Amino acid sequence: MPHTERQNAGPAPRRAARVQPMFHRVLQADPRDVRQALTDLRGRFAGAVSADAMGRLELVLAEVMNNVAEHAATQGVGSGCMHLCIVMQDSGLSCAITDDGSRLPADCLKPRGLPALDPLDLPEGGFGWFLIQGLTQSLCYYREGHRNCLAFTVPYTQVS
Amino acid sequence: MPKLTVTDTEAQLLVAIEEARIDAAIATRFKDRLRDIVLRGRKPVRLDMRRVDFMDSSGLGAMIAVRKALPEALPLVLEGLTPNVERVFRLTRMDTVFDIPPAATQQE
Repeated sequence: MPHTERQNAGPAPRRAARVQPMFHRVLQADPRDVRQALTDLRGRFAGAVSADAMGRLELVLAEVMNNVAEHAATQGVGSGCMHLCIVMQDSGLSCAITDDGSRLPADCLKPRGLPALDPLDLPEGGFGWFLIQGLTQSLCYYREGHRNCLAFTVPYTQVS
Repeated sequence: MPKLTVTDTEAQLLVAIEEARIDAAIATRFKDRLRDIVLRGRKPVRLDMRRVDFMDSSGLGAMIAVRKALPEALPLVLEGLTPNVERVFRLTRMDTVFDIPPAATQQE
């Protein structure tokens, strides 16, 4: 341990130079639990990121977690729980969501546009993955054993 | 039940959404409730969304379903969009489908 660290240890340690909030939650894959997690998340990060970044983060996480609740965890597969973790990095808010439900279809991650805008028969769905793809960077998915792992970054300022 | 305050004037229905979030937790009930209201009214609708602080794609889907339930000739005007709600309409191009007056003209 370097000399300075030893000096900072003890019953009244000096504050680290950069203290940034993070968020970790194990929640039921259920829209009400998703809503509660997002509300708590906003409280945690509100002072640290802009309202715009917070809004984009909340939207992306709502889309991802509601997808887990609707598709992955409803078929009697797994525990019905998911894990959410968000940390602040230089590039943005790095997020990881994992669950032990059924596998994510490969189509979800393929680049996609908006559903066809037929004015006579407007689409009522199909926006979720479009929003996720558009609002995130470094979006990646992998399956680890029985778990789905989805990770991405929400930038502090929107580039497009 | 999602909270909606309805003011029925001669010319139009003014519906104020009293919910802070239109998300997956209430989207279906919200859609059913609002669709009932606009279908009973059979007149132009003004939707006051200033209290809605968050909407996800399931909330957007509910709004689209209500728009589709209303005859095309009857306007559905969305007023008081907060930044989080405006973002969803804009990114999905649904701002071209709904009647959304510019914020500056909404001051009363």
